[in-house]
Amino acid sequence: MNRISKFQFTALLLITDLFSLCCCFGGISLGTLWGILAGTAVQYLAAMCFAVQGGALKKWAQVFFLVYAVFSGGALFVSLWRTRSAVYIPYEASHGIWGSLMTAGLIALVCLYASSTGIKSVARAAVIAAVMALLSLSVDLVSALFNAEWSNVSLPEKRGLLGEILKGFGLSGSLGSMAVWLDSVKGDKSKALTAYFAAKAAAITAVMVTVLPVVGGIMELTDSPVITAAQLSQPFEAQRIDSLFLVVFSVLAIFSVTLQVMTGAYLFGELLPRFQRWRSLTVIALVIGAAFIINGRELLTVRACAAAAALLIAPVGAKKSAAIGSG
Amino acid sequence: MEKGGLLPVLDSSIQKIRSVSGGSSDVLINRFVTGGIHCALLCCEGMVSASVITELIFEPITDIPQQKDSHGLFHYINEELLLSTDRPEVGDYDTLFQLMNSGFAVLLAEGMTTGLAFGVQGYNTRGVQEPLGEGNIMGAHEGFTETVRTNMSQIRRRIKSPELVMELSKKGDKSSTDICLCYMKDRVPKALMERIRRSLDRVELEAVLSTGYLRPFVENGSFELFDSTGTTERPDVLCSKLIEGRVALLVDGVPYAIVIPRLFCESFQTLDDYAYKPYYATFIRWLKYGAFLIAVLLPSFYVAIVMYHPELLNSTLFMLLVDSEKKAPLSIVTEAFFVLIMYEVIREAGVRLPKPVGGAVSIISGLIIGDAAVNSGLVSTPLLTMTALSVLGGLVVPELNPQVTVLRFAFLISGGALGLFGISLLACAVLVNICATEDYGFPYMAPLSPFRKSGMGDTAVRSGIKKLQSRGFTVEEYHE
Repeated sequence: MNRISKFQFTALLLITDLFSLCCCFGGISLGTLWGILAGTAVQYLAAMCFAVQGGALKKWAQVFFLVYAVFSGGALFVSLWRTRSAVYIPYEASHGIWGSLMTAGLIALVCLYASSTGIKSVARAAVIAAVMALLSLSVDLVSALFNAEWSNVSLPEKRGLLGEILKGFGLSGSLGSMAVWLDSVKGDKSKALTAYFAAKAAAITAVMVTVLPVVGGIMELTDSPVITAAQLSQPFEAQRIDSLFLVVFSVLAIFSVTLQVMTGAYLFGELLPRFQRWRSLTVIALVIGAAFIINGRELLTVRACAAAAALLIAPVGAKKSAAIGSG
Repeated sequence: MEKGGLLPVLDSSIQKIRSVSGGSSDVLINRFVTGGIHCALLCCEGMVSASVITELIFEPITDIPQQKDSHGLFHYINEELLLSTDRPEVGDYDTLFQLMNSGFAVLLAEGMTTGLAFGVQGYNTRGVQEPLGEGNIMGAHEGFTETVRTNMSQIRRRIKSPELVMELSKKGDKSSTDICLCYMKDRVPKALMERIRRSLDRVELEAVLSTGYLRPFVENGSFELFDSTGTTERPDVLCSKLIEGRVALLVDGVPYAIVIPRLFCESFQTLDDYAYKPYYATFIRWLKYGAFLIAVLLPSFYVAIVMYHPELLNSTLFMLLVDSEKKAPLSIVTEAFFVLIMYEVIREAGVRLPKPVGGAVSIISGLIIGDAAVNSGLVSTPLLTMTALSVLGGLVVPELNPQVTVLRFAFLISGGALGLFGISLLACAVLVNICATEDYGFPYMAPLSPFRKSGMGDTAVRSGIKKLQSRGFTVEEYHE
């Protein structure tokens, strides 16, 4: 397996989380932020147990994570299709199912190419993409602050903390990839996890704190609050810049799906060593198939349960590393 | 080529040489008797200097006193006369022809199965001139020439360290081209040198006529948009690369050197950067980064915004564009495609045509076609401005011209078909391709990704020379 650095590992996973957050459906509040942060803390603790346990995954765990990668990839496509009303992709909305298929097909083509180059190059590219995305998002969202109404932050919560933690888990589609790729990280695994979860918490807080005062007042009217916040951010009086958000959004979508495809393809290779040639294509076909099956359903609870199961299965399904075993 | 040893009978040997060379007119065979032994001096017309061969070979050789036999004659020449500094021994016809065709004079004697060769090269070569492709204001004005040994001397003049190693070898079954592998032995790991030598061992070409013949052998075989090896025609630039622990390959007959490995950020660095104050050098460097992005993306962004995302434009600009585009009979993508193709045709014509006609091309293209296209309404003025800016941006980074040209078209098509979404898709694929480019374990995108903080002092900015001096950089820092 190719080795990647902790920053590359962080960037790969963070992109998926940012994309999930951008596609976040339904109203959000300060409670959502606390819920997501609490969920992140729980995930961190569970992930640290896995890091201590170390080692590669057992066969049955690999099967679970393969299914999880296909499901998460499908959920990412569904999130992308659901934002069609907010993010304009030419020909997509006007062509119905063929439009969706075209978007998925084009993304699949880029994902196929990216996964053929290997995790090392995708991880390197992900660092550049993550930095560009964070920069663009910060410009987009900071300019939104000019339209912010700070009293919106303290609007009443609709769900309890447990519901918000569940939402936080549901938006964490990268946990399966985390368990699979952690073994390929160079150096201290726990430091890599700390870097990832710290970056995730910081990025989510920054985005939510910006979105809440901007969109809080019209939360009832909007389906995708983060995209709406980006659309409301207009630093110039005479022109709109929200189309630029589409560039960031597309880049995040491609790298998120690529990560799931690469995870699935890698596990396919581990489970069926003879099946090497078409594994990426098979996984992407399965991902698009899964997307069509779950299309139109949010499945937030299922996604949250799957994420929690991934965190539980990762340490249980890990082969004990040589260091632990001998110690 | 004949592999057997030299025949001892001089007449037979000469007959064989004539037969192998097919009676070629430029093979000169001068027979004479010296020291009582029948001899022949062979050389290739035009490859040796007539005055040198007369003064240094013929005059001393014809004064040799009577010798007992041919062995005595060769012993006398080797021990008593200093005819030339470069005197390899010839044992077979293969070597004989190789040396003769490289400007050596070969002495054969009756009864000897070996010959003596003397380096008396005197062919006409182009002198050291200012390089045409790599302009420099504050640096040296010397460029490489077509002669590999002149190029080696230019490097040696700049790096007098004994650590600088130059390994000469021959490639090409028919051309027997001299190639020279240059490196600093204290800076390049032995394992890397071994890998490069192994790559070069795979060369089985009949002729090596340019650097392009060898580059595929020292580059990664996978599909890469950008070159993971570079070229330079400046000895001073090559010396700076060698000192950074890179390996260079000089090819006889080509005034360019191949540099291994090459990084993306190097395309934006020139020797002039180190002659200016750091703040100005940093400004120039960012100007080049911006120019590269403009060169690749500006036409596609223009087309995508005008066609699919007009809300990105302010009302004044939008009205201006609507006003000019509504007069154009073609769609914006076709228009942009047409202008860019026209530019490429004109550029290619300008490069290939003889110089006196080249001037006419610029008049026809600039004045007649350009002016007429706008006046007739075939092309809108804003689009022409965008295309011109993009082309101008590409000229700032001439090294990346092939990539910029192709990517500009690819982005134009994706932007025209799918707007900003299409541009994003292609940008991701290109980004992954650049990040996958790697040669001998050196990632092309280093020090950006994989990130190396130490490399930022000469990438994001241009730090002061004192700071760079303390860094003690070698490219090995980027090895993965």
